Amino acid sequence: MAYLAPAEFVTKMVDAGESKLLMSTRDTLVRAYMAGAILALAAAFAVSVTVNTGNPLIGALLFPVGFCMLYLLGFDLLTGVFTLAPLAVMDKRPGATWNGVLRNWSLVFTGNFAGALTVAVFMAIIFTNGFSEAPNAIGQKIGHIGEGRTVGYAAHGAAGMLTLFVRAVMCNWMVSTGVVAAMMSTSVSGKVMAMWMPILVFFYMGFEHSIVNMYLFPSGLMLGGNFTFMDYMIWNEIPTVLGNLVGGLTFVGATLYSTHYKTAPKRKVA
Amino acid sequence: MRPASLRVSIGQHSLAGAHAENQDFHGAFVPRGALLASKGIALALADGISTSRVSQQASAMAVRTFLDDYFATSEAWTVRRAANCVLAATNSWLHGQTMAGDGRFDKDRGYVCTFSALILKGRKLHLFHVGDSRIYRLHPQSLEQLSEDHRIALAANESYLARALGTASHIDIDHRSWEAAPGEVYLLATDGAYSQLTATEINQALAQHPDDLDAAAAQLVAQARAAGSDDDATLQILRIDALPDADSPQALLRREHLALPPPLAPRLAFEGFTIIRPLQVSARSHVHLASDDASRQPVVLKTPSVDLRDDPHYLDSFVFEEWVARRVDSPHVIKAWNGERQRRHLYVAMEYIEGQTLAQWMTDHPAPPLAAVRDLIAQAALGLQALHRRDMLHRDLRPQNLMLDRQGTVKLIDLANVHVGGLAESAGQPVAELPPGTLQYMAPECLLGEESSVRSDLFSLAAITYQMLTGQLPYGLASARIRSPQDLKALRYVPLRHHRPDLPAWLDAVLAKALHPNPGKRQEVVSEFAHDLQHPAPEFTRIRRVPLLERDPVRFWKILSGLLGLCVFILLLLRVRGV
Repeated sequence: MAYLAPAEFVTKMVDAGESKLLMSTRDTLVRAYMAGAILALAAAFAVSVTVNTGNPLIGALLFPVGFCMLYLLGFDLLTGVFTLAPLAVMDKRPGATWNGVLRNWSLVFTGNFAGALTVAVFMAIIFTNGFSEAPNAIGQKIGHIGEGRTVGYAAHGAAGMLTLFVRAVMCNWMVSTGVVAAMMSTSVSGKVMAMWMPILVFFYMGFEHSIVNMYLFPSGLMLGGNFTFMDYMIWNEIPTVLGNLVGGLTFVGATLYSTHYKTAPKRKVA
Repeated sequence: MRPASLRVSIGQHSLAGAHAENQDFHGAFVPRGALLASKGIALALADGISTSRVSQQASAMAVRTFLDDYFATSEAWTVRRAANCVLAATNSWLHGQTMAGDGRFDKDRGYVCTFSALILKGRKLHLFHVGDSRIYRLHPQSLEQLSEDHRIALAANESYLARALGTASHIDIDHRSWEAAPGEVYLLATDGAYSQLTATEINQALAQHPDDLDAAAAQLVAQARAAGSDDDATLQILRIDALPDADSPQALLRREHLALPPPLAPRLAFEGFTIIRPLQVSARSHVHLASDDASRQPVVLKTPSVDLRDDPHYLDSFVFEEWVARRVDSPHVIKAWNGERQRRHLYVAMEYIEGQTLAQWMTDHPAPPLAAVRDLIAQAALGLQALHRRDMLHRDLRPQNLMLDRQGTVKLIDLANVHVGGLAESAGQPVAELPPGTLQYMAPECLLGEESSVRSDLFSLAAITYQMLTGQLPYGLASARIRSPQDLKALRYVPLRHHRPDLPAWLDAVLAKALHPNPGKRQEVVSEFAHDLQHPAPEFTRIRRVPLLERDPVRFWKILSGLLGLCVFILLLLRVRGV
């Protein structure tokens, strides 16, 4: 199992960011859609495990399967492109512009949302037997998960908003570390091990992940949660997206880039 | 297990006809070792026209020079290019002789002959043919004629030779190529032999002499003579016994005996070099500056990155890059390190070019004058031409791969992705799964999976020219996102003057042509593009007056909005006054 030195994997990060900007609209949307859907399924799976075992640690221990699957299949999460895409602009790669980065982010956001929403509808059908009865135990748990994390934050006003934002920053610090860690190894087993650790940390700690929330909250609205769509947007999704952006960019992308990449002499011979 | 190599059996025989002198000439050459892999085997036969007294010299000359000169051409050339080149030279010489002697008044008395040849290289057979000798493939029941008779019929029994070597200063040589299969039998024959032969007789002769094809050929020629042929009769038989494996690399590109190098670090001694400092360490490769312990010359060493160590194609490119660099001699292409040393590790050693990349130059010169760009691009074009002349395509042209040395000489570096026509034919060139190169500079046809050509390199060079002048890419990132031929229509070339109004308008026409999404509409060769940049052809300078909308769209819309605003104001005024 080869371990790549930082100088090697940081160029891989910049290359990966550049390739996101060069991706066609169709590819970007399809890959984002699939990523959103797989991650949503993993979230539903983790909540099911937690409810059935009564132990959130087991749910968190198993949640990374979804992340590993989507990464190995080459799909893109908004949290990942928040970290990687700007590196191409920072490195002045030909044609890379902030407009291109914003285009990529909005396409990935749209794709992730559509994918997560699809799984939310599918899982709601499963939890309620095709909307013919009240949600089962797992359905109820998912239905009410969203309340504390929307109306709950709102009850604390600005302090709640700050907490939410910081949780989102911490979340993508961990998740993007997972993305980057996967680049350090050249083997599948190595990639999976490297991704597993930070994802496990973020899920158990209950940090705010914008795509997981794209599943949990719309599901909550469908399964009888006591909050509105506007609560979800203003008191969760939008601050979470911004927090994820700051977390991924500052703690992972910019730091690794500035310390491991910029220091190398910039030239290529032969 | 040793990979299978090319094995053939050849039999040939020639017999003079009624007149004493044999005007047919034939020959075959089966080289050994590296030459067999790089050039293959060749059989050739020529038939001098009977009306000429010198045509036996012509046929001998044609076959001899073909067999000598074909094997002396560059191994980077494709079979077609090498054979056509040799035949064109032979034809010129014969035509010169014809024009110098009796033949200048009557071609029937000149140095004129037919010519047919088969070349088997790798797993492919190539046919070259002019005149009325024939090339056949043998089937159990029939003979399949592969060549076309260049005869024009005047009447039922009268026809004349339409094309032959030595009749004109330029002639077209037929060329066909196809995949060969083990066990196949091919025949080359002049008219004295083929007019009387049948597939059954040939199969019988082959069955009688399975191990001595010369005897089979002699028997068949004798049978043809007995059946009433009185012309010179020549027959060559080629039986393919074994073909090389489809994906076995050539001996010259083998790397099994080379170990992967250890991580290099300053002051480390490695293969007779002392590492000085890293130049670039990335996931694609590790490049270090080193000093040769023997000559004290600086040298650049490139070693595989850890990330790609398991990719066999990538590792092949390390043997390949120096192979290419040693075969191109141009001041505008990087040279391989000139020392020889027994190697134990896989690495590339190249000359050290002290200077900066074109990417750095672009950062330092954001809006350069046209003259400076023209000079640099002309030099890069010379480097590309040096590759193209050898049937090579660079395929990864980008500002990072163009170095400017201290004297301002532009040199192409990074030859790892070069496509070599002659190697690709014999399956000797590493084939990557993805099109190599950088998406931003790649010609659209390469992104659609079509083969790259000289015009694809031209596109990349033109894209770099555009970027040097404006700092932007001609199609932005849209050309990199192409997925289907429909996407090509959506590509819109942004004229230079949108970024640099000071540049002449003809420059746009030159660049738009070189950057056309359809390769067929670009300049044909790189030198044409470089020439157009310096001496614009009239088609580029005759440019219509550019309408305001294109010249200055902002002002156009301002004026239009102003006029519309005025209309609204007048209408309002009329309303208020109650008219």
